[in-house]
Amino acid sequence: MRAARGRRRGAERRPRFALAVTAVFFALLYVPIGVVVLYSFNSQKSLTVFDGVSLRWYGAFLRDDVLLNSLGMSLRVSLVAMAGSVVLGVALALGLVRGRNRLGSFAGLVMLVPLITPEIVTGVAAMLLFKGLGITLSTTTVMLAEITFSISYVTVILRSRVAALNPEIEEAAMDLGATRRQAVRLVTLPALLPSILASAVLVFALVFDDFVLAYFTTGVDPQPLSVRIYSAIRFGVQPTINAVGTLMLAGSVGLIALALAIPRLFGRRGGLDLLSGE
Amino acid sequence: MATTARPPRAAGKAARERLWTWLMLPGTLWMTVFLLASLILVATLAFGTTDPLGNPRFGFVLDNITALADPAYRTVLLRSLGYALVTCAVCLLIAYPVAYAIATSGGRYKNVLIAAIVVPFFANYLVRMYGWSVVLSDDGPLLRALRAIGLADGGTRILQTGTGVVAGLVYGFVVFMIIPLYAAMERMDTSLIEAGRDLYAGPLRTFLFVTVPATRQGAAAGCVLVLLPAMGDFVSVQLMGGPDQIMIGNLIQDKFFQGQNWPLGSALTMLLMAVLLLGMLGYLRRTRKDEAEAVR
Repeated sequence: MRAARGRRRGAERRPRFALAVTAVFFALLYVPIGVVVLYSFNSQKSLTVFDGVSLRWYGAFLRDDVLLNSLGMSLRVSLVAMAGSVVLGVALALGLVRGRNRLGSFAGLVMLVPLITPEIVTGVAAMLLFKGLGITLSTTTVMLAEITFSISYVTVILRSRVAALNPEIEEAAMDLGATRRQAVRLVTLPALLPSILASAVLVFALVFDDFVLAYFTTGVDPQPLSVRIYSAIRFGVQPTINAVGTLMLAGSVGLIALALAIPRLFGRRGGLDLLSGE
Repeated sequence: MATTARPPRAAGKAARERLWTWLMLPGTLWMTVFLLASLILVATLAFGTTDPLGNPRFGFVLDNITALADPAYRTVLLRSLGYALVTCAVCLLIAYPVAYAIATSGGRYKNVLIAAIVVPFFANYLVRMYGWSVVLSDDGPLLRALRAIGLADGGTRILQTGTGVVAGLVYGFVVFMIIPLYAAMERMDTSLIEAGRDLYAGPLRTFLFVTVPATRQGAAAGCVLVLLPAMGDFVSVQLMGGPDQIMIGNLIQDKFFQGQNWPLGSALTMLLMAVLLLGMLGYLRRTRKDEAEAVR
């Protein structure tokens, strides 16, 4: 009895060193974000002295037409990329899981390419393709590149969900007189809806924040917000960027919370599992 | 397949296959055109030339490939590899204790803690890096704190040094190491740790000889996920480093935007891909071997 308790205590012994590292890690993880948020409310331009609370830089952002145009463009790009990649990606995931043929194995491989390619390579490649086809870089080219990039995410997320779905519910629908296509439309897609919505929100957030791909495929005007931020911070302190960054941060956190909450709103598991890395 | 048991349905098999093919077709076509074709284009242009006006011309010359032998490029490539590997090592050093602490002591807050690590990763990369560069700046909070406790003097700098670049890369990508490691630790049989303790191994020995081997696949996956973006990054150098620290991503960026030498830029891009593919093949061989051992 005593020996057993001793062992239990041993197994539960707190890993003090690991806990200390974790505490420091969390501090370092959040301090930079805290700095951006804090100094977005600074009344002065300084990034070292906090002078007093003010909404000055938020006001400056709202008066900055260039940044507002970029914001509008980023929103448009994210919406189009979300719609395009969800339609293509969901169809691809369904086909990949249910149908097993040569096209499927090819598609399965191609879909993995963006995940194992550094973004700078896909960025350069997309830029060369557009230039090679004689297409002027513009909002449209950013949209096309972002759709390509996002299809993989949607397919990877949806693929495991389709695989977890019992194909017999489709069979049952067909036994009740539905055609195969009706079964997919009326049974499979509704069952996948929470995952589809969650992946759509995730794609929106990722595309909105994406920088590398947007940087290589954007034209002159307007440029996506992250590209604007990039040129701004290369030229020294720009307090307006703190305000923009804070707003983007709030937006991303909101969207991620939404993506995680969607499956629960539908009252079932099996939506988006960010944490297990699937 | 459930249908094979039902003969009447066999006739529908062809129709079914056709539906799945139609579903796959648009996405596959899209990816083939916008991804595969564009990557082939990069590979092809690596053998091209530029005309006197600076426009890229396709051709079949090896000038760009031989240009890569230039010692200047070799230095940058080796530096990029070095920074990426150090980044990977630092990420491992951070991720192991963090993943371990959360997996063993997280209790019911495990998911909350992991979410707290993942959420900042979804904040805009540039904004995060910018905030980090402010923290690391010469009169930023970190150096001020270090000076206050005597760990740094007035001349100590982080920005504009290699340390700054690696710090940027670590901050950017450490989450890619923590998540697979944490997943591996969650899957790990904790009775192994108790067994190690029962055999009178201290915490450190148990960790090194039980936990680390049991989670090495997670660590290997994390290394690949960190190396990939770290090798191609060009933002960290711009915000944290100086001209002496440029990486291959900066070279590529420069050839496409400032230098206007797209064929050379393409050659450099292919070089980056080649280095990463080599690493990837090593990883795949390693995991195959692990799996084969697990089966045996």
